[in-house]
Amino acid sequence: MTMTEIASFILLLTGAVFFFAGTVGLLRFPDVYTRLHALAKADNLGLGFIVLGLLLQTSSPATALKLILIWLLALAASATVGFLIARRARQNGIVPWQSGDRP
Amino acid sequence: MSNLTLILSVFLLANLLVALLRVARGPTPADRLLAALLFGTTGVAILLLLAFATASAALLDAALVFALLAAISGAAFAQRAWREEQAEAMHDDD
Amino acid sequence: MTPALAFDLLLIAALLWSAARALTIADVFHAVVLFIVFGLLMALAWARLGAPDIALAEAAIGAGLTGALLLDAVGHLRARQREPEQ
Repeated sequence: MTMTEIASFILLLTGAVFFFAGTVGLLRFPDVYTRLHALAKADNLGLGFIVLGLLLQTSSPATALKLILIWLLALAASATVGFLIARRARQNGIVPWQSGDRP
Repeated sequence: MSNLTLILSVFLLANLLVALLRVARGPTPADRLLAALLFGTTGVAILLLLAFATASAALLDAALVFALLAAISGAAFAQRAWREEQAEAMHDDD
Repeated sequence: MTPALAFDLLLIAALLWSAARALTIADVFHAVVLFIVFGLLMALAWARLGAPDIALAEAAIGAGLTGALLLDAVGHLRARQREPEQ
């Protein structure tokens, strides 16, 4: 294995860890707002690290540009959707979870 | 190397199976939809890994469409589908 | 077991489960979310079967547009259910 391959593999593994953290967060966190937070980690960092890891494996600039475009698109989408859902949850009268509450 | 990306995609797919539990459990509509949004992003990651594992560049376009349309269903949910009774009684402050 | 076989088996399990739940569940919104999930998984299945263009169409039409339209329809249904009582 060359140096780039090892670096790429480590980046891919980091991305997978963030996706795992996002999934566990989605299952374990107590309310909508905290689950949105877990989802955003998977969206931004998980996909970001996977894209970085794959960027090291490609040599064609077109593929690299497309990968970066996908990541930027996912960033914009997750920010927008997170804001919209959190605002609607607040308007619907969902009270944020406090540390003393039962989950 | 392509074997490693394939193993990672299997791991991500197993994550998705676990996330199906959140769809089943709820309790609010938003929680179910959040799991669907996670399916969207993880689907993008799986498609990217598959594209490199099988060396087929066309899958990148499918991943691009995945990323685009997750946002549309999320926005449609927040703007149209999820309005509850309290929301109309409460003062709309946006 | 090779990774490719494991991937296929997991995908089949998730597809069958989400399809069966979407058809049998009573709550309309829950069924719509399961339909979106099914569409995304189906797109993955097409990608796995070596048909990236159909995967693209399935993600765009099956999961994206139909999902958004169904969510909109659920919103209208709920609004109508609340109105007649007053």
